[in-house]
Amino acid sequence: MNREEVYAKLNEIFEDVFDDEDIVVSDNTTADDIEDWDSLEHINLVVEIENQFGIKFNMGEVNSFKNVGEMVDAILNKI
Amino acid sequence: MNDYKFSELEIGLKESFSKEITSEMMDMFYKITGDCNPLHCNEDFSIEKGFRGRVVYGMLTSSLISTLGGVYLPGKNCLIQGVETKYSRPVYIGDVLNVMGEVVEKHDSVKQATIKVIIRNQDNKVVCKGKLRVGVLDEG
Repeated sequence: MNREEVYAKLNEIFEDVFDDEDIVVSDNTTADDIEDWDSLEHINLVVEIENQFGIKFNMGEVNSFKNVGEMVDAILNKI
Repeated sequence: MNDYKFSELEIGLKESFSKEITSEMMDMFYKITGDCNPLHCNEDFSIEKGFRGRVVYGMLTSSLISTLGGVYLPGKNCLIQGVETKYSRPVYIGDVLNVMGEVVEKHDSVKQATIKVIIRNQDNKVVCKGKLRVGVLDEG
C-alpha cells in the first residue's frame, strides 16, 4: 500500500469517525482543523485506524503525532 | 467493586452479575427520563399490542451495562467511552437479567478495551447484545 492508498483509506476512517463526508485530510491537517477532534474522538480515531489497517501504535506514538502526515508515516512503517 | 488494571484485562476475561427488574425501577426511570410511552406505562395498552405486560424500557436494560463497566469489568478505574446496543427480546417487570461481559479487544496505545456484552433473562434467552468501549484510568 502506497502513501496515496493509505490516504484514501484514512480519509474514509476520518469521514466515519467524525460523521462528515466532506472531510479531506492532508499532511498538514491537525486537530485544530476539525471541530470535533477532541481527546475522546482521538481515541476513537486511533482505535479505528488500528482496526482498519491491522496495526498497533504505542502510547508514545499516539501522543506525539503533530499532524496527519506524521500519522501516515507511522502507518506506512507498520503495514 | 472490582479494580482491574489495564494490563490485567486479558482477551477472554469475563465478569457477570444478575439483577431483577422491579416496577419501582420502572417508576424511577420514568421520573428521570420523562418517557411516558404507554408501552412502558400502561399495562392494558401493552397487552393490546401483543405483549404480556408493560415492556421494560430498553435503556433501563442497557443501563446495566454501566454497572458492568463501572463495578465489574474493569470496575473502579472504568471510564466508559462508548456503548452500542441491540435489543433482541422484550423484558418484563420481574425478569431477572444476567449481564455478562467479555474482553474481546485491547488497544494499548489509548488504553481502551472493547467488552462484548450479552444480557439474558431467567430463561437464558438473549434480550440485549452490545459492545462497551472503556478506558482504564490506572498507572498514571
